[in-house]
Amino acid sequence: MSRWTMLADLERCVGCQTCTAACRHANATSPAVQWRKVLDVEAGSFPNVNRTFVPVGCQHCADPPCMHVCPSTATRQRPDGIVTIDYEICIGCAYCDVACPYQARFLVHDPSFAYGPAMLSETVRFDDARMGVAQKCTYCSDRIDFGLENELVPGIDPRATPACVNACIADALIFGDIDDPYSNVSKLLREQRHFRMHAEVGTEPNFYYLTGQANGAVDVLPASAPALLQAQSGRVRTRGVEPWHQEHWNWKAAGNFLCGGAGTGLFAVVAITALNGAPPLIGGLLALGTVALGLSLLAFKIGRPFRFVQVLRQPRRSWMSREAWVAGAFFPVALVAVWFENQTLLIIAALLGIGFLICQAMMFYASKGIPAWRVKTIVPLLVATGFAEGAGLFLIVAAFMPDLQPFAEPIAVALVILVSARHLAWRVYFDELGRDGAPTKTLEIYGVFAPWFLVTGLVVPLWLVAPGFVLPSFAPALFALAGLMTLVTGWIFKLILVTRAGYNQGFALDHTPVRGFGAAGPSVKPGWHSH
Amino acid sequence: MPVSKPRDERTVSSYCYQCVAGPDLLKVRIENDVATEVAPNFDAAKVHPAGGKACVKAFGLVQKAYTPNRVLYPMKRTNPLKGREHDPVFVRISWDEALDLVAEKLNAARAAGVNDEQGFPRLAASFGGGGTPTAYMGTLPAFLAAWGPVDMSFGSGQGVKCYHSEHLYGELWHRAFTVAPDTPLCEYLISFGANVEASGGVCGVKRHADARKRGMKRVQVEPHLSVTGACSAEWVPIKPKTDAAFLFAMLYVMLHEHRRERLDLVFLKERSSAGYLIAPGGFFLRDPQSRKPLVYDLKSGKALPFDTQGMRPALEGKYTVDGIELGPDSELTEHSKAIVQPAFAHLVAHVKDYTPEWASAICDVPAAVIRRITNEYLEHARIGETIEIEGVTLPLRPVAIALGKTVNNGWGGYECCWARTLIACLLGALEVPGGTLGTTVRLNRPADNRWSSVKPGPDGFMEYPMNPTGKNEWLSQPTVRSAHRTLVPLIANSPWSQALGPTHLAWMMQDEDFDQLPQASTPDVWFVYRTNPAISFWDTKRIGEIMAKFPFTVCFAFTRDETNHFADVLLPDCTDLEGLQLLRIGGTKYVEQFWDHQGFALRDSAIPPQGEAKDFTWIATEIARRAGLLEKYNEAINRGAHGIRLSGPSFDFSLAADQVHDVETIWDATCRAASAELTDGVESQGLAWFRENGFRVKPFSRLQWYLYPKVVETGLRFEQPYQERMLRVGKELGRRLHERDIHWWDRQLEEYEPMPHWRDLAALWEDALVKHYQVRIEDYPFWLITARSMQYSWGNNVTIQLMKELAGNVIGHGSVVMNESAAARLGIADGDLVEVRSPLNSTKGPVVLCEGIRPDTLLIIGQFEQWETPFAKDFATPNMNALVPMLLDLTDATGSSADLVKAAVTRVGRAA
Repeated sequence: MSRWTMLADLERCVGCQTCTAACRHANATSPAVQWRKVLDVEAGSFPNVNRTFVPVGCQHCADPPCMHVCPSTATRQRPDGIVTIDYEICIGCAYCDVACPYQARFLVHDPSFAYGPAMLSETVRFDDARMGVAQKCTYCSDRIDFGLENELVPGIDPRATPACVNACIADALIFGDIDDPYSNVSKLLREQRHFRMHAEVGTEPNFYYLTGQANGAVDVLPASAPALLQAQSGRVRTRGVEPWHQEHWNWKAAGNFLCGGAGTGLFAVVAITALNGAPPLIGGLLALGTVALGLSLLAFKIGRPFRFVQVLRQPRRSWMSREAWVAGAFFPVALVAVWFENQTLLIIAALLGIGFLICQAMMFYASKGIPAWRVKTIVPLLVATGFAEGAGLFLIVAAFMPDLQPFAEPIAVALVILVSARHLAWRVYFDELGRDGAPTKTLEIYGVFAPWFLVTGLVVPLWLVAPGFVLPSFAPALFALAGLMTLVTGWIFKLILVTRAGYNQGFALDHTPVRGFGAAGPSVKPGWHSH
Repeated sequence: MPVSKPRDERTVSSYCYQCVAGPDLLKVRIENDVATEVAPNFDAAKVHPAGGKACVKAFGLVQKAYTPNRVLYPMKRTNPLKGREHDPVFVRISWDEALDLVAEKLNAARAAGVNDEQGFPRLAASFGGGGTPTAYMGTLPAFLAAWGPVDMSFGSGQGVKCYHSEHLYGELWHRAFTVAPDTPLCEYLISFGANVEASGGVCGVKRHADARKRGMKRVQVEPHLSVTGACSAEWVPIKPKTDAAFLFAMLYVMLHEHRRERLDLVFLKERSSAGYLIAPGGFFLRDPQSRKPLVYDLKSGKALPFDTQGMRPALEGKYTVDGIELGPDSELTEHSKAIVQPAFAHLVAHVKDYTPEWASAICDVPAAVIRRITNEYLEHARIGETIEIEGVTLPLRPVAIALGKTVNNGWGGYECCWARTLIACLLGALEVPGGTLGTTVRLNRPADNRWSSVKPGPDGFMEYPMNPTGKNEWLSQPTVRSAHRTLVPLIANSPWSQALGPTHLAWMMQDEDFDQLPQASTPDVWFVYRTNPAISFWDTKRIGEIMAKFPFTVCFAFTRDETNHFADVLLPDCTDLEGLQLLRIGGTKYVEQFWDHQGFALRDSAIPPQGEAKDFTWIATEIARRAGLLEKYNEAINRGAHGIRLSGPSFDFSLAADQVHDVETIWDATCRAASAELTDGVESQGLAWFRENGFRVKPFSRLQWYLYPKVVETGLRFEQPYQERMLRVGKELGRRLHERDIHWWDRQLEEYEPMPHWRDLAALWEDALVKHYQVRIEDYPFWLITARSMQYSWGNNVTIQLMKELAGNVIGHGSVVMNESAAARLGIADGDLVEVRSPLNSTKGPVVLCEGIRPDTLLIIGQFEQWETPFAKDFATPNMNALVPMLLDLTDATGSSADLVKAAVTRVGRAA
């Protein structure tokens, strides 16, 4: 079986953007939608400066996170390794966008043309199926298929070769079958030094960067490389290269996590108290309403809301799909449980709610394109904050419902435990980011937020809960205030997580290329904090 | 799955020649009669040096055809007031009315005499882009030929934005209108600001990419880290306009720090004038009988004519000999027992003070770096080695030096071009495999073949069509408004000469008094095509004010722009994908176009013209007919004024001279002639064949890439190192000018040195600015320079959205590029809005901070600040053209200046 692979020879590339233009033509993408483009990366300090041109685009990963997260099955991987997208199925949730470490997805909501109204050439090529969905490079799979059907060799015969490769005036882009040891790409990979971008993320791209002769002097400057890397945030031209904030998951998407966490957490608390005799109806309905509100926000946010049902198509892989399935079970079971005060169903519903919460946490973990999301420790943190928010919300509700007052004290105790656990999870999470590396701007945002997380998320709730035990008459208000602080802190954290700390991977080079003569240069990874 | 809609589609062959690095052959995809895609022409993969690839600019042609901003109908001005501030109030008119208007003015001009009272042509024409408009103007050249004298001296960038000194001296020394390394064989290239990755087109880019993979070391010497610098093995950030000092120091190292055997002494003795004895007056010592330059023969111990067989010429030493010296105006001096030295010895003495340490203080480049690079250069020269090219053994010298704009034009251009060519001669690396080559000829004739232009001239050198400077031959009365032949002997007299200039003089003479020259008149009719001097020249504000005074301007217009704002009539011609034309391709051409084939390519009319746009050939025919020149026009076509002669020894497809021929008839006959020319008359396929196949070629011998075999065959020498001819010409020119009491060209006369001395160019620039603007030069601490962009065809495609989008990926476009440390000292942050100010004018734009630029240098890429061109006028992009003063003091002897100025920068707004 063939596995189609692209090489970008950084020693050859001159950054002319002819590949970008050819891609725009061949795929009729909208203005500024560049499935293929070439970065202009400068690193170093005058006069020791290195400027490198780096073609980027979909890397057609062997283990593509975009496919794993896609809830609708729109993103697929062909047996030949090409990652495709079906614009008729895609719901435009942009989950693939945050899952891609290479910033290779484009979500275009509205038609746009070069000069306002569509020109003749744009009218002929306009495709409404591309609107409101995630677009990406397909390695011009239609050309490859045409070529194979006509016994042409992709990468050799232009009619069977991606447009960007055909157009490259420096012969810097090379395409071929990496499974064929005698192919053009296999030969070049044997002969030349190369790397794959962001190899540490582990997606196994079918896209390699050539950087010069393997037998040439290769001086990657390991000692100075970290220093250079550090220097880049302030001293080096990094626009378009350093991580920038993900653009598609906004406050509405965050709302799903705010409400989902608090709502399912509340339902779990309601279920526990109901097992001990508390009336579950009001708290349960509030929990369900909260979760439903979050999902509604999400539904209105996606590019193709009327295809929402497609979200159910991929429970085998996608945590978003799983979230939808769990939500589908959670709502009816929970509704019946609270309405009929059925304890068994309450337990099942609570477990489904916890499952929903875990799905949401795992959605972040699966987002390989966002360093602040993809770490394992995000999962316990989000689960802990969901429970803490649920307890907090319960204490707020209890302040207005005398029936629930007897349960306030134990839940307040639980709140103390949960906010402590949450803070511990936060510290573990924050430390992991600092230890393993993250975009500098993510850490800066968190650096500002961290003291508040301590104060409003832990110290103040503890400070409010404690006097509640010795001043019973003030307990409902104090507990409710503690709950409110817990809830607000959790929500602010998740809002920050999605809309402020969600910087993408950016672009990086293992090392800069040889240019005809001499040595390869140091690594370049602008906008990152690393130890 | 990917979108794959069934399409009613076909492909059409075309070419892109938007810049001098073309033509690129391409295919246009047509869907339902609409052009949708541009792609390489892989049918030409085996014959095109870059495998049939097309440059990024070609991909803008689809938008160019369909942009809503096009001028789609003939228009005429209704507001008689001309000026930037006056709306011309163009109104739509019919083609008949438009052409009648033009014909009426032409006929009136013709009736009054084709030259006016001052002797200047009444018809003027300006075409931009290094001659590339001829690839789009169909048969207009035939109309111009039929008309007679046309003033083409109103420049639009020439001189200040071209390789001006290189054009002139390159043609003189080695038939090199432009100069290129023999990249496929070169191993060590020093590039002084030559930005081949931005301006070398698809051929240049591919040749250099291949060379990098082969291990060629390229050192980029340039004030900023350009695209080419980025792709080079080493970047040497030199102070602007000090390249000559670096090159002189290289000469010093080669001549004073190494054994003579490191040089190619055979080449120097046999193929240069290094052995010619220099008489006490500075001219060659000559044989009294034959008047040939003398060489001292070590074998016989005598001074013998240079072409005496079996000599062992001396390159160094002092010799006491007899002979004569021929000075200016053939003044003869007899020398008896004069003590003389060969030119080479003079050279050695000439450079003795130009040490790397001396150069380091000027260039701000460490002496050790200059010395190391020179030594590396020598190590790669492979003196004595040979290579076989098509069965002929030639020297292999894989070292070359390339010069870029601002280095090879304006003051200092002579020094750099001389040193570059001389270094090639010292190593025998001129016009041989691996070395420094010329690309094409434009001033010598015939223009389509470098070898054929090699004709024996005086003193063993090649003939050169120098404008006369003799007492009774000098052209005291300028023939066009730039006075090019009067002032610049080296500009020659080919059709290209007046377009080279000094073209800014044509503008300056409109509003400045040049003592003892006739006050220049305005042309009665001015044609403008594919050029926008109101934006692209220097001191653009002044240019605009001058063109507003022209009485009748006809602009062939694709969109409105800053120059056609002053037009009286706009004629919408077909754009690149709409028009029809056959173009000569292959051989060796500008930049790095070295083909193994030559022939013709068709630019087929891929799509119907939008609106009422007309094919240029139709327009030219109609103008000729209405101007009563149809017969002469057809005869000019038959002679090949449009590119291909319609008859030859074994074929004749001439058109009837008295008839109006339609576009396809003209190009069908042309295609037939092209087929016949390529097949010696055996075949004669016409337009239909070319439409089917796109192009037609025959082999072109790679030997012809190199001039050396032809020079050897003709027994000639390269005119290096001693410029005796230029010395004589300069002296004579000075006499002629002074006889006429013209002294304003005296500074330019100083350039006529047999071997150039270092000139403090920074002081020259600064003094000129202080003198003309009474400024404190300390207030302008930066050098403002510019650079080419691959995405933008100068200013011609700024209205294409795709180009702006793509250029946005290459950092520096749309901004002022500045060193981060220098900016920090001025409190400027990345993205801030800054004002860049020269003594003449100012421009504003966002600043991009980077480390790849000298702290004393500012960079603004491209040609912008449009105020009328649709789309581009909304860019808010800075542009340096309005900041560069057009001054005689900044004009060199070849009539050019360099695109740089002293400037200050201040922050005027915070980053958004």
